[in-house]
Parts: sequence; structure tokens; C-alpha cells
Amino acid sequence: MISGRPNNGWVIWFSLTLALLLSVAPMPGSAELARPLWLGLVIAFWSLTLPHRGGLGAAFCFGLAQDVLAGTLFGQSALPLILIAFLVLSLQQRLRMFPLWQQSMVLLVVLGLAQLVQLWLNTLTGNRPPTLLFLVPVPISALLWPWVFVALQGMRQRFAVY
Amino acid sequence: MRLLVFVVLCVVLMVVDARFDALKTVRSQMGLVLTPFYWVADMPVRIWRGATEQIASSNSLMAENEKLKAEALLMQRRLQKLAMLTEQNVRLRELLNSAALVDDKVIVAELIGLDPNPFTHRILIDKGEKDGVFMGQPVLDASGLMGQVVEVLPYAARVLLLTDVTHSIPVQVNRNGLRAIAVGTGNPDYLELRHVAETADVKAGDLLVSSGLGQRFPSGYPVAQVTEVVHGSGQPFAIVRAVPTAMLNRSRYLMLVFSDSRTPEERAAAAAEAQADADQKAAAEGVEASTPPGESGSTAEAAQPAAGTAPAAPAQEAGQ
Repeated sequence: MISGRPNNGWVIWFSLTLALLLSVAPMPGSAELARPLWLGLVIAFWSLTLPHRGGLGAAFCFGLAQDVLAGTLFGQSALPLILIAFLVLSLQQRLRMFPLWQQSMVLLVVLGLAQLVQLWLNTLTGNRPPTLLFLVPVPISALLWPWVFVALQGMRQRFAVY
Repeated sequence: MRLLVFVVLCVVLMVVDARFDALKTVRSQMGLVLTPFYWVADMPVRIWRGATEQIASSNSLMAENEKLKAEALLMQRRLQKLAMLTEQNVRLRELLNSAALVDDKVIVAELIGLDPNPFTHRILIDKGEKDGVFMGQPVLDASGLMGQVVEVLPYAARVLLLTDVTHSIPVQVNRNGLRAIAVGTGNPDYLELRHVAETADVKAGDLLVSSGLGQRFPSGYPVAQVTEVVHGSGQPFAIVRAVPTAMLNRSRYLMLVFSDSRTPEERAAAAAEAQADADQKAAAEGVEASTPPGESGSTAEAAQPAAGTAPAAPAQEAGQ
């Protein structure tokens, strides 16, 4: 039974902060290319499980934070994150019914779209990546989705976040 | 529709951020809060390094000590020579009426983070606005130029490395003074020289030093070493590739250079003043063996009043 009053919001913010931290954590050499889209995954999870808590606002805030960390223009990584949140929110009714691997498949497309928007914005600001390697994080993230989902779901139930 | 609102907000923010300076303060305030993220993210690496240093065997420490001692000895020798050469250089410059070369002031900074985007070559360092770091400041490591500061946060700064696609630096070949522009390729291993004529005298092995012509980097610091020159027939320019001398992806400690930001006139005036002071001191001490006291005295008198009023003139007068 879901109570109308939201509680334990700090769990959401904590997981998002952790994702932000992971997105700047140093990685060895060429593993940098395969850095999973942590923020995208966590935003997707909360939009999927708690759509009434609003994913777009959080996506916007953390997108701006990531922009400051990465030194890109304000909104440059916020826009793809908002897109992820929006797509997951609009597919939410259907995605909830899917088994995890099928959710992964859908997320592969969603994250891919976000990454393409990111490419478009990068190109506009004159930082066009020379190869298609910028798409590598997408399958990696999609493969990580089941684990992220199980971990965050455990956390959500443990702290009873509604 | 909330999506539309947020998307429009993002686009507006991006345009404002790209075109105007209005968001700079917001960014620096957010940077104040977010810089610790880099510290925390870097913590495991820090701890690992600390641990390896703790458990390093005394054998390897002794070997390292030995190596450093030998290196210091070599450096000492070069330094002795350098003192003599500097002295000589100053004298010759005096003869040529050109301003004395002032040694640049340097502070040491530590690397705290790499840019999460693998397609840009930028790093974050632990010195910021509070330490006097400014936009466009040159950054060096022990073996050469690394790049320049492109963003200043209160306690951190972002450095664009030489090899980033958007970076170029004016250089000259150390052997013959040939000028060129070294452009980043996006590949951390080499730079390319643009618009070098097919017949230009560049060979593999040439050292490229900064020419200082862009007025951003100080002149005379090593930038890269030419590795290959391709003369393709039918192409207007030769392809010249060079490896940066700085260890762009290995250096953890970097130096920020505060080069002389004064105009050449001001510098000349200061040099003339210093020269006059030195002459006066020499005259006061009664050193009469080498130079006739009357001559140095007149130089001092000629230079001193002029230094205060007309900044451009004294350098010429001081030498006469």
C-alpha cells in the first residue's frame, strides 16, 4: 500500500550523488572510453519505479552539476539526461511489465538516443569526437542495468522509499 | 508540458553560457561545492599511492636515492654553466639595448582529476582563483609545456592540454628559428605542424620551443620533438608530426607560470631603472678599476628621470 506522502527522499539524492561521483572517478587508460552512463542509469531507475517523484527536475539538477564537473556548457549533459528521464517516464507503464533483460534492450535504445543528442551538442560546440567510439558506453550501461536495478531496488525496499 | 520547459531552459542556458559571461559566477559557486567530488573520486588512487610508498622496500628507496643524487649532480653542473651564461646573456642584451629577460615566477600544482570525456584532453588541478591562477595561464611540467588554463574555479582550475583538438601553440624550431603552429590532434601521442612549406628546413629530431608570439605562452620552453616529416608530392604542405616533450598523461605535479604581464615599454623602463640602480651602487662603492666612474654616473642620471616620465625612452638612453 503506497502512502500519499513521499518519504526518505534522501535515498534518491544519495544514489544520484553516488552516480555523479562515479561519473568523474578516474579510470585506467582506455577504459575511460567505456565509462558507463551512471547518472543515466540511476535517473532511469527512479523514473521507472517512482514516476510520481518527478524525474525531470532531478535530471536537470544533476545534469547541470555534471556540466560544471566536466567543464561543458550549462545544459549540455542536462539535455540528454532529461531526454532519458522523459522517455523512461513515457514508457513507464510498459517497462514495468518487462523482465530485466527486456528492460535492458529498451534502455539500450533510450541511452543510445541520449548519446546521439550528446554527440549533436558536442559537434555544435566544436568538440566532435573523431570516431563512433562515443557509443561504447551505451551497450556497457545496458549490460549493467540488471545489476543496477537489483541493487537500487534492494536499497529502495530497505529504506521504504515511496 | 514539462519536458518542453526543461528543454527550452537547457537550450537557453547553453546559448547564454556560450555567448555571455553572465553565468560565470554561478559556475564558480557551483564549482566550489563540486570540486570536492574530484577529491573524493581521486581518493582510492591517492590511498593506493600512499600505501605503495609505505611498503616500498628500502632497497628500491636506496636505488632511487642514488639515482636522484646522480641527477642532482648533473643538474648542478648545468646550473653552474647556466649562471655564467645568464650573466653573459644579460651583458650582451645590455649591449644590444634590449630588455633583460626576467625569470618567470612559478607555483606548483597537483593533478586532481581528468576530464570524464575521453575525447577532450583536459585535466583539473588543485590551484584556483584563490592562488592567483588566471585564464590562459601557461602550465608546464618538468620536461616541457603542457597547456593552458581554460577555466578557473575558486579552488581548482581546468587545463587544456596541447594535444586537444581545439588547441594550437606558436612554436619555432630551436635549430634555425623557423616558425610554425603546432596543433593538437586529439591523439595524446603527437602534435602536427600546420602550413609548413614543402621546402622548409625541418628534420626528424628537431626540438620545437615556444616562440612566445601568441603572447600567451612564455618563449623558449620546449614543446615537442619532431618525429617524422612526410613530403607528399602533390600536397601543398609537408606533414610534420612531433611528440610533446611534456609527459602529458603521466605528470602528476605541474607548474603554473606567472610570466611577465607588463608591456615591453614597462619592462624596458624597469630594466633601465635596475641598471641605473646597479650603476649607482657600483659608483658608490667606488669601483673604479673596470669602468670610469663618470660614465656610469652619467648613465644613471640619464636613465633615472626618464624612467619615471617616458617609459619607452630609457632603455635606449641607459645604454648610451
